Amino acid sequence: MRVKRAALFFLLFTVHYSLFTDVAYAMHISEGILPLNWAALWFAVAVPFLWFGMRRLRELSKIDLSYKPLVGLMAAIVFVISLMPIPVPTAGTCSHPGGTAIPAILLGPSITVLITGVSLLIQALFFAHGGLSTWGADVVSMGIMGAFAGVGIFKLMRKFNAGLAVSAFLAGMISDWAIYFTTSVELASGIRGDEPFGPLFIKILIAFVPTQLPLGIVEGAMTAGMVKLLFKRRSDLLVKFGVIKAGEAI
Amino acid sequence: MAHCDCFSEHFSKRHFLSSIDARVKLLIALALLLMVLTYKGTMFPLIIAAVSIMLCLKMRIPLKVLAFRLAQPLLLALVVLLLKFFFSGNDTMFIISFPSSNFSLFTLTGHRDGLTEGLLITARILGGVSLLAAVGFATPFIEFMAALSWLKVPKPFIEIMMFTYRYLFVFLEDATTIYSAQKNRLGYTGIKKGLNSFGVLTGSLVLRGLEQSQKTADAMSQRGYTGDMPLLKGKPLRAIELAAASLIVAFGGAVWMI
Repeated sequence: MRVKRAALFFLLFTVHYSLFTDVAYAMHISEGILPLNWAALWFAVAVPFLWFGMRRLRELSKIDLSYKPLVGLMAAIVFVISLMPIPVPTAGTCSHPGGTAIPAILLGPSITVLITGVSLLIQALFFAHGGLSTWGADVVSMGIMGAFAGVGIFKLMRKFNAGLAVSAFLAGMISDWAIYFTTSVELASGIRGDEPFGPLFIKILIAFVPTQLPLGIVEGAMTAGMVKLLFKRRSDLLVKFGVIKAGEAI
Repeated sequence: MAHCDCFSEHFSKRHFLSSIDARVKLLIALALLLMVLTYKGTMFPLIIAAVSIMLCLKMRIPLKVLAFRLAQPLLLALVVLLLKFFFSGNDTMFIISFPSSNFSLFTLTGHRDGLTEGLLITARILGGVSLLAAVGFATPFIEFMAALSWLKVPKPFIEIMMFTYRYLFVFLEDATTIYSAQKNRLGYTGIKKGLNSFGVLTGSLVLRGLEQSQKTADAMSQRGYTGDMPLLKGKPLRAIELAAASLIVAFGGAVWMI
């Protein structure tokens, strides 16, 4: 058992350091990894959330004409953020953040699912990050899990009177780790074949630890930095989006 | 940050696939993708990959761009292949003990069935990614949006995609400018400084986005925007294109069934 564990450790680190010395991307599942039945299942899970996001968009854009451009521009920003290289010191690589927590805090989780869906579709079609068949799975991990985990933690922390920056930091970090956890579940269930789910899930989880654990912290710092800057320069926008109450201190 | 040479608009616009209706290209791609995903061997996905890569080269897509596009999925495929080969399966192919078979600190076991499964997934990834790359390079973004609309993708979704595409390059340029300015002022010389700079960069982009969205909405409403964006209306599909698409899909289906 110990020998097997040591072999696993050796292989995963060899693979990790030899493969990810250039760039590792946020956790998109590539085209073709998932068999059709799993791809269809994740798609079916994603669709109601997307539908709800679109319904909310329609409602809000009836009230405010600038809402659709705002959502589109936020999607572009999430897209750009997810292309930014962040050095991950523990893995000796550069990685890319998911950026889901930022729109989730500002615009809410249902709109964020839509934003993520749009970003992922463009990335799948024109960047080969993710894929068409794995789009549903990627929306579930990055959009649904990332957004709801981020907002949930942010609101929980604010309820306990935590500072804005601390709440945003935890929201960004937990959102990133929720994406990583869900992607590992999706990957393990999709590629396991006749193997039991548990051991493969653990192996995949371990394989991405060197990149994703520090990346979560980086994403947390990035989210906190963004909220701090918005508070300093345009706190009225945070009030408008319901992130803080008027006159509230950081 | 400069990975934006990914849209067909950045490359040769006049090639043999440019005159084909985007809806036809998308339908063929979806049908072939379905076959790639459901095929039980490696041959069909590899044929699709080879044909797609050849099509990209014929469209004069630089090899470097193509390699960059395929690099990340292929690295993931390699990880999956190694995981399946060494940690999945029952049919042992070989056992390597380190440092020797008499005194081993750890062993690596290769499995024949794991390798087969791993190769299957790798072929599927290669086939799927190459196919999407070929369609992506062959179709301008706006035509793609019209094709998605024809496929009944909800309009709000397409509208958001169009806004995103329109501002993607603006924000990429902004981000690059801010990043260079921060780097020149030693903003990324330590972990703490780097994280701080990155937070400021993200915050600045979000701020610009929020301010720009209001300006965009104002400018659009001055031009008659009432909340819905017009999309390209597709012409009726040409019979010859539909016939050619049916032939390609039928040929693919025949190979798939072999």
